[in-house]
Amino acid sequence: MNNIIEIKNISYKYPNGPDALKNISFSIGKGEKIALVGPNGAGKSTLLLMLNGMIKPDLGEIHFSGSPVRYDRNNLRELRRRVGFVFQNPDSQIIAPTVFQDVAFGPVNLGLSKDEIKSVVGDALSAVGLKGFERRPPHQLSGGEKKRVAMAGILAMSPDVLVFDEPTSALDPAGSEDIMELLDEMHIDGRTIIISTHDVELAYPWADRVILIQEGEILAEGTSGEVFYNKSLVKSAKLSMPVLLDLYDGLVERGMPESDNLPKSILDFIHLLYANSSDIRNTENMDCGIIYLVDADRINPGEIKSLISSLEINGIGAMGSKAKMMADIEKIELDYTYGVIDKCLLKSINRKNSMIITTAGMIKRVYDRVLEFNQESMRDITIRNCTEINTKL
Amino acid sequence: MYYEFLEDIAQTNRLRDLHPLIKIILGLGCILISVSSQSIVAPLIIIITISFATIFLAGIDFRFYLKLLLIPLGFAVLSVIVIVFMRNSGQILFSYPLGDWFLLTVSYGSLNEGILIFSRVFAGMCSLFFISLTTPVTETFGLAVRCRIPGEFIDLSMLIYRFIFVLIEQAAQIYNAQHMRLGYGNLKEGINSFGMMAGALFINTWNAAENLIMAMDSRCYDGRFAMPDDSAAMSFPLLCLVIVYLMVNTGIAVYTSGFVLFGVAY
Repeated sequence: MNNIIEIKNISYKYPNGPDALKNISFSIGKGEKIALVGPNGAGKSTLLLMLNGMIKPDLGEIHFSGSPVRYDRNNLRELRRRVGFVFQNPDSQIIAPTVFQDVAFGPVNLGLSKDEIKSVVGDALSAVGLKGFERRPPHQLSGGEKKRVAMAGILAMSPDVLVFDEPTSALDPAGSEDIMELLDEMHIDGRTIIISTHDVELAYPWADRVILIQEGEILAEGTSGEVFYNKSLVKSAKLSMPVLLDLYDGLVERGMPESDNLPKSILDFIHLLYANSSDIRNTENMDCGIIYLVDADRINPGEIKSLISSLEINGIGAMGSKAKMMADIEKIELDYTYGVIDKCLLKSINRKNSMIITTAGMIKRVYDRVLEFNQESMRDITIRNCTEINTKL
Repeated sequence: MYYEFLEDIAQTNRLRDLHPLIKIILGLGCILISVSSQSIVAPLIIIITISFATIFLAGIDFRFYLKLLLIPLGFAVLSVIVIVFMRNSGQILFSYPLGDWFLLTVSYGSLNEGILIFSRVFAGMCSLFFISLTTPVTETFGLAVRCRIPGEFIDLSMLIYRFIFVLIEQAAQIYNAQHMRLGYGNLKEGINSFGMMAGALFINTWNAAENLIMAMDSRCYDGRFAMPDDSAAMSFPLLCLVIVYLMVNTGIAVYTSGFVLFGVAY
């Protein structure tokens, strides 16, 4: 994997303040999902602001796609276009009096033509699920909607790297899950994503790699399992262990054999329990429920409701803003909007049928995940694509 | 609160998607006709028709509309009473001596003038509220560009519009925080707390300004602001209708310019 951002021996001190960052080095690979985790005041925001050149380090260098960042106007503009930064507080990021104008702010300043602006703004707004909000003023939006507007404003500049400072702060749990799902969606589109957070529950299943920082220094760096399954590390960083790992740890202490992979979701956990308990395994019925797949782009709007009522379905989930928007228009009650595939797999092993509404880009992901799960758990869960010729795995 | 209410109504009323030019021409035209009308007939017609449009076409709540009108009309009534007593012309209606030195006199002429001025103010207010209740501020920026207003002013007014609401929200938060801790118990405390609020707001504003510059920089600001996407369709039949309406009203104003309620015109 080639590195898109490399940070080399950076130090920074605020005027009249203590050292904010002390000799920090790490690199970020293309297409990675990285969580910068640390307590309040650890220097997360300062570090993130350096990634798009808002703060110049006192010492050390930052390399972006192989060449060192130069702090002159033109280079900074190019850097800021390619590294999109979403602030913690959307109120300080939203500038314009209407949603359309705000999302168009970046593209206009990049000098796009009027038609191009219209199309990129439309794309960005539908990517965050805010189509139809163009003429609304930001002060009438909810916290989560404002956050989405801020994200759309950055997406409209088509950056390669997205940096989010505390993406889920001040959002309700459902709103946080929606935002994390959106981050995943942007990641599928091939972007590198870096977030800062102190919410370990959100960071643990989401991140490929976790960088733990405290008092301006890197405390640990590794996969989310490596970092969060280290009690002393977690404690010294004033964080808490994710509940799943805590539970796993408790069970291991009671004598459950350790697994090769740490459980990242409830599905993983249940699978782990089944794999380790011969009692359950012997009596377990290996029949599985079916996962029905619907491509929101291909199905005729009116058909989906009758399709749902003709099948015996216990749970419906939607992946991606487009699919969610369609479900909203069709007035389909969604049971899952976050971690959809795993939740449907869970339904399947409970011998219940479920349905996933999604768009073409993500169908492959569903197949991959289900195939992976089937191999891992020696089950035979079927996906039935309702909008194509029936396929059996 | 009122500030939010007016803007909310403007954003959600039934005439919102009408092209702002039509609404502004209608409103401004009516104001011009009513303030220059020499009789109360044209203003009366405008009051009735514009209020009809505001209540039934735009769907504004009747009681709310009345409450809103009461604010400026209260002031108007007071000033008109003064005018009625001050200006004397024509036949005297009644006079009342106030001690040895003052004589309160109302004449037909002054009464006519007072009523005329009141009707002008009334019609003007109705027209103004028609504009402000049906046309969101956000829709007028595009119009300002068309009117060749310098870009700097428009950019500034857009920023002001955006941040007025942030400021008000913060002021409300600080006020609540003070109020909860009995910050406005008596006058002295109230003055003290208000001063503190002003100070805190100033510092917050300063911070917000710095954040704004940072946000604009990180979004590649290059001196340009996006203009609203003028997707509201211009309806020419409607524009013609508005112009015909205004012409008819002008005609009425001219034709009835000699009309007075009391006594004879001179």
